[in-house]
Amino acid sequence: MAQTSVVQDNLRKEMKDPYRRQGRLLRTWNHNKTLWLLFLPCLLYYLIFRYAPMFGLVITFKDYNLFKGIWASDWVGLKYYRMFFENPDFWPLMKNTLLLGLYKLVFGFPAPVILAILLNEVRKAAFKKFVQTVSYLPHFISNVIVASMVIMFLSPTGGLINNLLGTFGIGPVNFMNEPGMFRGIYVLSEIWQHIGWETIIYLAALTAIDPQLYEAADMDGASRMRKIWHVTLPGISPAIVITLILNIGKVLEIGFEKVFLMQNPAIYDTADIISTYVYRVGMEQGNFSYGASIDLFMGIISLIFIYSANYISRRVSETSLW
Amino acid sequence: MNKWKSVMLPLAAAAILVSGCSGGNNNPASPAATAAPGGEASPATSEAKQAHTFTALLDNNATFPYSKDWPVWGWIKDQTGVTLEVQTPSGKLAEALNLAVASNALPDLMYMPNRKESNKFGQQGALVDLMEYMDKLPNLTAWMKQYPDEAKAALSADGKMYMFPNQGFGETNRMIWMYRQDVFEKEGIQAPKTYDELHTALKTLKAKYPDSYPLSLRYGQIPDEMNTNMTVNYGTGEGAYYDFDAKEWRYGPTEDSYKEMVGMWKQFYDEGLIPPDFLSLQTKQWQDMVSTGKSFVTVDYISRVDFFNNAMRKENPEFNMQFLAPPAGLEGGKQLNPYFHYMEGGLTVASTSKNIEDIMNYMDFFYSEDGRTLSSWGVEGETYVKEGDTIKFKPEFTDVIEMRKATGLQTSGTYTWIDFNAHLSLFSDDLKHAYEEAVKYDPANMQPRPAFTEKENEVISITGQAIKKHRDESFAKFVTGSRKLADWDKYVEEINNLGVDKLLATYKEAYDRVQNIQLSSN
Repeated sequence: MAQTSVVQDNLRKEMKDPYRRQGRLLRTWNHNKTLWLLFLPCLLYYLIFRYAPMFGLVITFKDYNLFKGIWASDWVGLKYYRMFFENPDFWPLMKNTLLLGLYKLVFGFPAPVILAILLNEVRKAAFKKFVQTVSYLPHFISNVIVASMVIMFLSPTGGLINNLLGTFGIGPVNFMNEPGMFRGIYVLSEIWQHIGWETIIYLAALTAIDPQLYEAADMDGASRMRKIWHVTLPGISPAIVITLILNIGKVLEIGFEKVFLMQNPAIYDTADIISTYVYRVGMEQGNFSYGASIDLFMGIISLIFIYSANYISRRVSETSLW
Repeated sequence: MNKWKSVMLPLAAAAILVSGCSGGNNNPASPAATAAPGGEASPATSEAKQAHTFTALLDNNATFPYSKDWPVWGWIKDQTGVTLEVQTPSGKLAEALNLAVASNALPDLMYMPNRKESNKFGQQGALVDLMEYMDKLPNLTAWMKQYPDEAKAALSADGKMYMFPNQGFGETNRMIWMYRQDVFEKEGIQAPKTYDELHTALKTLKAKYPDSYPLSLRYGQIPDEMNTNMTVNYGTGEGAYYDFDAKEWRYGPTEDSYKEMVGMWKQFYDEGLIPPDFLSLQTKQWQDMVSTGKSFVTVDYISRVDFFNNAMRKENPEFNMQFLAPPAGLEGGKQLNPYFHYMEGGLTVASTSKNIEDIMNYMDFFYSEDGRTLSSWGVEGETYVKEGDTIKFKPEFTDVIEMRKATGLQTSGTYTWIDFNAHLSLFSDDLKHAYEEAVKYDPANMQPRPAFTEKENEVISITGQAIKKHRDESFAKFVTGSRKLADWDKYVEEINNLGVDKLLATYKEAYDRVQNIQLSSN
């Protein structure tokens, strides 16, 4: 008996030895081979399609010649950055972009949270489903259509909204000609378009709340509002914080198409943003380097935003992206 | 403006209207303009009948999508021996071109939407400079003598020619004033010859039809074209423009005549003669206004004459949209329409192609009289018949679009120089009339469109864009009254401070350079 156990021990040692000699990396590889293989396509995807193209950013410092290729193009240093910063419209554009983004964040962000909580309180399943479906729909309408719908509805010559206002003896208001109204109109139309779609994540978070918490609150005699305040909201707060951080990172990323289609010279004061500027300048020139420089600049600002938001969130609460 | 044309309009799905080409000074209504520069050089084409196949990236129009089976390809092959292996862009043409150039997989022939693109790629080394092959292009050489303006417009800043020039097709790009002749007659209003008369006419109409906005235009959809129209009426320019009398470059939007124009439009706005949202009016809204009798005067592409008449006469036989002579803005001013009848797009040859000389032979055919007839009319007996000296489409062809759809004639890559009478012959009488009238109000010269160097392009795009934005914004504010016209001097100062002098100097330099280029060696 004793002998066999020695043999077995030796065998075991021999089997283990190779692992010991080969070091940790190979050991984990051998241990999790299948998992690694499963991960491989994803890794390749990120390397090839996400990381490799980043080297293309070098064109922001070059006079990119499409025909000669990136490497053969001439270096121009910070020329394109200077071109952007020295442009007389730089500050107004920056201000408009930031403000529009902020408005969208301040008013657009809470909207789906509120809708999700309201939906959660609806007891009739059929009604809830109906509202959900209807509110998703606008998300699938193209921006081109939405922009012309907005313009037509708000038109002072036979637009729906002005007809409505007319019956109350108001107007007609020339909505799309008032620089002061543009941001409001834009943000409202954004909310209308995306509110339903954005509730999905909160509705998912809501289902994860333990029903016992509500039962316990009931036992304590909590009212509906109290339950929302003390059970529902804390329950979905991690989801809220994460989306908020992500959205802060996207403040400057305003869909170009819609703003471009909605703007007109009378409202350039508020409606001209960096991306619409780039489009107009790009049309004159088709300059990839210039466009890429502005994009990189915006990307860096967004990174600062998202990093600060995450930092604050980590300090204040326990939720953070990393 | 041309950039807007190339980008904004396709967005507005008005691509057909813009896909026109460049016009020379020939009168489309007179068959006399069909002189044959390449007549004596035609042997060159018969020599080149060897079979060749070239690859080509062509534009694709949704109204008549590319077909391999179009008879036009066979006709071209019969004449030149050439078969094109065509690719069409899967998305936008500009993107397909960028991709082709960046991947260094250039087709032999490429259709480029405008000269700016072809000059850019040409200067980067991707395209063949046609000037170097003029000995292979006898017909084109002769053609350039006949159409020197067109040829010069096709030159790049360094005096090279990267795109085959074209002529004739641009006629469809004409823009005109139109009015409801039936309504004017019914109300006993004379067709206005000046803006003052126009103003009175619009006021009368507004009084008779209080619900209407007698003058309506889709300014917001095609702002640059509209600005050009309006400023030409007032004898000025929408930006930097060349004054042929004074032989100098001037900046229109700071001139007194421009101020008068703004004042007139402000009156129109204040008195409800134009829609209050004319800056943001959608094409559909504008169409509805014009067709439902809410507007009686408009400015747009010439083919809209038929567009409205054909659609409306079914339910309202009285409906009669007709050409209106452009009103003159200033006292004693000329009645002029802008010079829009040119086309910016065209074919280019890849510098990497292995068949450059054969391609030159092939393309030269299109500048011969035979080539022109083929591109315009097709083949005798199959698509057209000759009655004496005049050519006529066979009776089964009644509509230009249908004709192009069926034959492939005048689709991307099948023409450079066409006889616009081919189109004209298929138009309705109203549209024919409009064309006949329109040429009477052409400016004497086409505004020069000099090619810029890369440095100059930077000035145009950065400084020029800042100026343009301020111009557009100020026009909107002055007209809608959010800025008082009394502020005009301040506005002039502001816009000058943005660099008008620099802009004008850039145009002048580019223009002088192009003027000094000798077109051909002989």
